[in-house]
Amino acid sequence: MRCTGLLGAALGAAIALFCFPGCDKSKIEIYRVEKEHDSQTSQMPGAPGGMSGRGAVIWQAPTDWEEQPASGPRRGTFKIHGKDGSEAELSITAFPGDVGGLLANVNRWRGQIQLPPLAQSDLAQATTPLSASGRAILFVDIVSAKPIKDGKKSRILGGTLALDDETWFFKLIGPDELVGAQKEQFKRFLETIKVEGTPALASSAENTGSKTNAPTPPTLAPITPPFEYKTPPGWIPQPLAPMRLASFKVAGSNGAEADISVVSLAGIAGGDLANINRWRDQLKLPPVSETELASISSHLNARGHDFLVTDLVSTEPLPPSQRKMRIVAAASQQGEQTWFVKMTGDVDLVEAQKNHFFDFLRGLSISDISRSDESAAHQ
Amino acid sequence: MVRYLKACGRGLSSLRLTVVLLGLSMVMIFFGTLDQVHLGIHAAQAKYFRSLFVFWQPAGAGWSIPVFPGGYLIGPLLFMNLVAAHGMRFKLAAKKIGIFLIHAGVVVLLLGELFTGLFAKESMMRMDIGTAQTYSEAPRETELAVIDTSSNEDDLVVAIPESLLARATVIQHPALPFTLKIVKFMANTSLAMRSQAPNSPPSLATTGIGPNVVAKEIPRTVKQDERDLTTAFVQINTVQGPLGTWLVSNALGAPQAFTYDGHTYELRMRQKRYYKPFTIKLLDFRHDIYPGTDIPKNFSSRIRLIDSRQKEDRNVLIYMNSPLRYSGYTFYQAGFDNSDKTSILQVVKNPTFLLPYIACGLVGAGLLTQFSMHLVGFLRRRRA
Repeated sequence: MRCTGLLGAALGAAIALFCFPGCDKSKIEIYRVEKEHDSQTSQMPGAPGGMSGRGAVIWQAPTDWEEQPASGPRRGTFKIHGKDGSEAELSITAFPGDVGGLLANVNRWRGQIQLPPLAQSDLAQATTPLSASGRAILFVDIVSAKPIKDGKKSRILGGTLALDDETWFFKLIGPDELVGAQKEQFKRFLETIKVEGTPALASSAENTGSKTNAPTPPTLAPITPPFEYKTPPGWIPQPLAPMRLASFKVAGSNGAEADISVVSLAGIAGGDLANINRWRDQLKLPPVSETELASISSHLNARGHDFLVTDLVSTEPLPPSQRKMRIVAAASQQGEQTWFVKMTGDVDLVEAQKNHFFDFLRGLSISDISRSDESAAHQ
Repeated sequence: MVRYLKACGRGLSSLRLTVVLLGLSMVMIFFGTLDQVHLGIHAAQAKYFRSLFVFWQPAGAGWSIPVFPGGYLIGPLLFMNLVAAHGMRFKLAAKKIGIFLIHAGVVVLLLGELFTGLFAKESMMRMDIGTAQTYSEAPRETELAVIDTSSNEDDLVVAIPESLLARATVIQHPALPFTLKIVKFMANTSLAMRSQAPNSPPSLATTGIGPNVVAKEIPRTVKQDERDLTTAFVQINTVQGPLGTWLVSNALGAPQAFTYDGHTYELRMRQKRYYKPFTIKLLDFRHDIYPGTDIPKNFSSRIRLIDSRQKEDRNVLIYMNSPLRYSGYTFYQAGFDNSDKTSILQVVKNPTFLLPYIACGLVGAGLLTQFSMHLVGFLRRRRA
């Protein structure tokens, strides 16, 4: 019996080992991590080289600002000392994408000094556009309503710089009196900011410290396809959200707003029917068939570009504004790219802006990206 | 039943089987070692030592056949052979205690290797002086991280392992309001800008950086100091239709972002990450050399270990052969970079790391006991 017992144990052990769970390496993992840009203790991989993937952003700081060593994801840190021993800190960070958009970022700063969030409609008043080497930097100045630290009110001076797919944040935070005294100096500092160099693929060698089989990191061609346009009156340029090549906002009466976007995608990007039905779905309208397409669209020829134009109105008020919404959109295939220009917003405001929209299309000059690697400025 | 098991036991406990298995082991180790030249150490380990069978695939064929037993077959058979032999023949006697200890040590050694293969994880932690890290990265495995960055508090990460990307066509996860269609997966690629390779076929990517990049599939690297550049074309599909197809690769430094349903998501192909419940900050790194030479004398990292859960906050010096063992992890000084401003620690999590030590102890004690008994017997006979 002893031998059979031992043999059974051996067989059981061998089978158990091979049936043991936990060695499945194909499992999707889900977890929450501290935001890397909010953390002083976590580091962006390969920062700064790995994160940037962009041209360098440089600035010129006043001499009385005390520069600190870079730490974690920060691209720069300065300490500013007051005569009364108070201290303010300027942090410079950069993150991919629009990091939730301008409103979310301004509200994040407001939350840090215990102020309630702003509504989208109040954002324009809360920000001041500054110009730095031809690029727009949105400046904000916010003061806490009550004392936050050491019995003093806190103040934040902030600047956001939106690059193609990266946003830079310059935030000076400290006691109201000290930060307020630095306001003009901080604005001049923002105006010294320059964007240099061309974007580049990060070499994996930079990320790991090990050699790789990667070719010499190639220089990235400009991502932005070359195009030019004229901004109609009343259209306010906005920071670029992901995928957008140009972005505007128009404000109407009673808080009505319209959003205008220019997007370019490779290939036919789903085709006319799929795109029009996608826009219809955004207005809760039923899809149309291929045969109905001609009846709800028209063609506009501008500068040799043939645009398929559609004008859609929702049948009922839609959230979040609870107004009837309208989409006027145009699509045109140029070489290997399909271009989309779309205006979405309050039904009356979009109607009022329709002529500006068509003027914008007529003023749009698109180069065929497949035949050109040159980027055009889109001022 | 008992008779059948006894017959089976006699076969399993046979010394011939031991010899055959040891012979097969030698052949497997010989060819596995030779094949490291072509496959590299890790692929060779997976093919020969950590598999049930060694498979052979004719050139150009899409199928493969088992041609030789692998380590995961020979090892357990040896294990069963040893245990069965003891079960059939072992008689509890004081003079056999040495033999018993030696065999127990061999059994523990075999189990230790099996557990290490199944459960041990090796990764690297790279830090610049003055920076802190909460995760380590697998040197050879990648993952596609889909990160919801919308919350002001934290990021929600859905990490899809490379092995799933390689075989799945559509990936769906309850945490994501869209599906990911893996249009193409390439385990290793060379990347170039389209402007530098103008005659390349059109990209499968429709948005992001992808249309401007040409990705060419190349064989996986077998070199220890190289890393695969894993690339995939991933289409994001929503109920409203596709948002586009992105090229994702661990060669791209910056993640690519898109918005859907009010949330901002980042797509990042990266080395697989293992987050830790504690933080390690690199305070200083030293690369000492013998005076007057370039010969390294010592590499050491002075780190600060911060674990708020355990109220742990202390400085530790990690240097060659003096790792930090903490919370089941072992941190070894593994490398440096960036003109000595960056330290690279190897992070090993092996819940059974003690087994080889125990095995060696058992075998050592067994050998000592066995030889001592023989020596005492010999001396007694000589005296008599």
